[in-house]
Amino acid sequence: MKKDEVVTTEGPALGSDPFLQGDGTLPYLLRLREASLRVVAEARPQPHERLQTRDRDGELSSEPPDLGPPIPELPSFDDRDESAGALDRLAGWLLTRADDDRLAQLFARLDGRPYDEFGMSPRVARRALAFFKLLYKYWFRVESSGHAAIPEKEGAILAANHGGLLPFDASMVVADGILAARPPRLIRTVVDRWAGSIPFVNVFYARVGQVIGSRDNVREMLGARQLVLIFPEGMAGIRKRAADRYVLQSFHLGFVEESLRHRVPIIPVAIVGADDQAPILWDAQPLAKLFGLPFFPITPTFPLFGLLGLLPYPVRYEIAYGEPFRFHEEFPPETADDPHAVRYMAEQVRRRIQEMVDQRVIARRTKRT
Amino acid sequence: MRRVLVTHIESPVGRRLAKALYHDPEVALVVGVGTAPEPSFLAPYRGKIAYQRLDLAKARHLQSFLHSERFARARVDSVLHLPFVSDRPGERVPGGVPSLVSETRRLVEECVARPAIERFVYLSSVFVYAPEPGNVNLVSENQLLGFDGEGDADVRAWIDADLICQNELHGSSLRMTILRAATIVTEAGEFLNSPPLAHGEAQIGYDPMLSVVSDRDVARALVLALHADRPGVYNVASREIFPRSQLRDSSRRLGPLVLPEPLGGALSLVEQALGRRRAHVTSFHRYGVVVNTRLAHDVLGFEPQYRIEVRGQGPRRRIDTVRSR
Repeated sequence: MKKDEVVTTEGPALGSDPFLQGDGTLPYLLRLREASLRVVAEARPQPHERLQTRDRDGELSSEPPDLGPPIPELPSFDDRDESAGALDRLAGWLLTRADDDRLAQLFARLDGRPYDEFGMSPRVARRALAFFKLLYKYWFRVESSGHAAIPEKEGAILAANHGGLLPFDASMVVADGILAARPPRLIRTVVDRWAGSIPFVNVFYARVGQVIGSRDNVREMLGARQLVLIFPEGMAGIRKRAADRYVLQSFHLGFVEESLRHRVPIIPVAIVGADDQAPILWDAQPLAKLFGLPFFPITPTFPLFGLLGLLPYPVRYEIAYGEPFRFHEEFPPETADDPHAVRYMAEQVRRRIQEMVDQRVIARRTKRT
Repeated sequence: MRRVLVTHIESPVGRRLAKALYHDPEVALVVGVGTAPEPSFLAPYRGKIAYQRLDLAKARHLQSFLHSERFARARVDSVLHLPFVSDRPGERVPGGVPSLVSETRRLVEECVARPAIERFVYLSSVFVYAPEPGNVNLVSENQLLGFDGEGDADVRAWIDADLICQNELHGSSLRMTILRAATIVTEAGEFLNSPPLAHGEAQIGYDPMLSVVSDRDVARALVLALHADRPGVYNVASREIFPRSQLRDSSRRLGPLVLPEPLGGALSLVEQALGRRRAHVTSFHRYGVVVNTRLAHDVLGFEPQYRIEVRGQGPRRRIDTVRSR
């Protein structure tokens, strides 16, 4: 039984009903179907709306009421698959009913398709959320603020600082968008093209909804009013040394251009904690060239402890969403072709994120002392 | 009222197209050509569809047909060219897929030389696009084509034929429309025009997404392109996309698993030293082709009417086409 579930049914005086007891371990498909039905029920017309279908004589009309277009089918998380695997059962155990409700809302637009146009699988995303929720709550103990800046339905670009060797910062922002934002929003991270060529990683990224960073992809996502998380520092953010942590590197400009072209705001996002999760002491470029990698980090634990040394330290994360920049309301789309203006706007965003990061880093240090 | 020549009408897509054209009031006459004897499914359509057996890969066959009294009487004004690429041994185009290039070139040249022929619709494939790690999502029509000299021969043939038709897009009297169809799924659950699924090998660590489309929807798109008279290049696919592994399972074409680079490269050297054949792995085994069909929707009015569904797990996996609600 989960902590946040309140059982209101009356059980027998001695012992308990075994069927009720199994609530927490019910097959997730059943629970998801219930979650879907609840969302559908909310969208159904209320009784007073139904009364309007009576004709002038007060008799019920034989014609069905005009209720508008049918409600889209909510995802059933591949209920054609009769055998839910161990991972699905584990995910069902880790996620609450509220989490499944949020996922059902997010994936309603798929209309029953097993994959979206970017290769995301709701089923794999659900499994991943269960894992990342553990990291979110117990490993990184994420505290987030400023969710009011996240639009409820419209698209936007989230520009964040990057750090920490492995992109756990991105996964925590995505988890925060599902678990903490109201209503939940699926935040799609733009990942480096290089990631698309790495075995296993490319498949995982695609299935959990991350998208390879091409302008066409960003255009499609913004056109579909999705939230796109971009790290304008690029690879420079995660390869910076420990001495430079929380110092934002120079920004790539593409995110400002796309914001102007697609008329969406830029939400600055400050992530504090990621730069401490795996401090890089040295970037061994000769080794990077040897292995064909963009960089080869030397950290206190890697390569000393092998691949285990890449695991992030259990640092506290803070995620803050700032007031959106609405350059698109002040400048026409053609401004995207003016490199000076775009650079100026990117610098504005960079400064704002740096301020937000600095405030939180100073507050942390003050708290410690 | 259009008078249409349809090539490879005996193919699965041709079969669907024949039915659609027969019921189309805007089409007066259809001349279907194919390499096989007249298929039995054309029997009910004889009032409107005439069949001519000829091998388009052979120049003299095409020449003699185009100069015949029969062709003159037909007064054809539009051509729907369907390159029929099936992987089933008995159904391949004579000469293999590369003959697609020669027959397409010849057909286009002949059509350009005949002013009476106004429209030409060519059914190409989305696998002409270059598969790259950077374009795994939603490839649009202006994406670069995959000019890989060491690539799959079938894919090179598709690209060459596509380019031949593209040459007529600008400054030609022929109004050329190129439809690039995703992997075509027939009612029987077979795949057509899909080089990535022609071979069963899979590379460990990669499972690219592929667009699919029902053969009925392809036929619809061809008819729409015929009537729309909007020259250009359009992607045609259904809304569903699937990982290659699921399609491969459902096609029962299972091949060896290949290790990713650099392990795979080292292993292939060992295999070569032992005299074993190297597994046939191309970039299509690593990177997917999922296409953006907005242009076809906006310009041609194409909206897929059939959903593709993959049911079951593992070896029991099968693929179905279901009419959308």
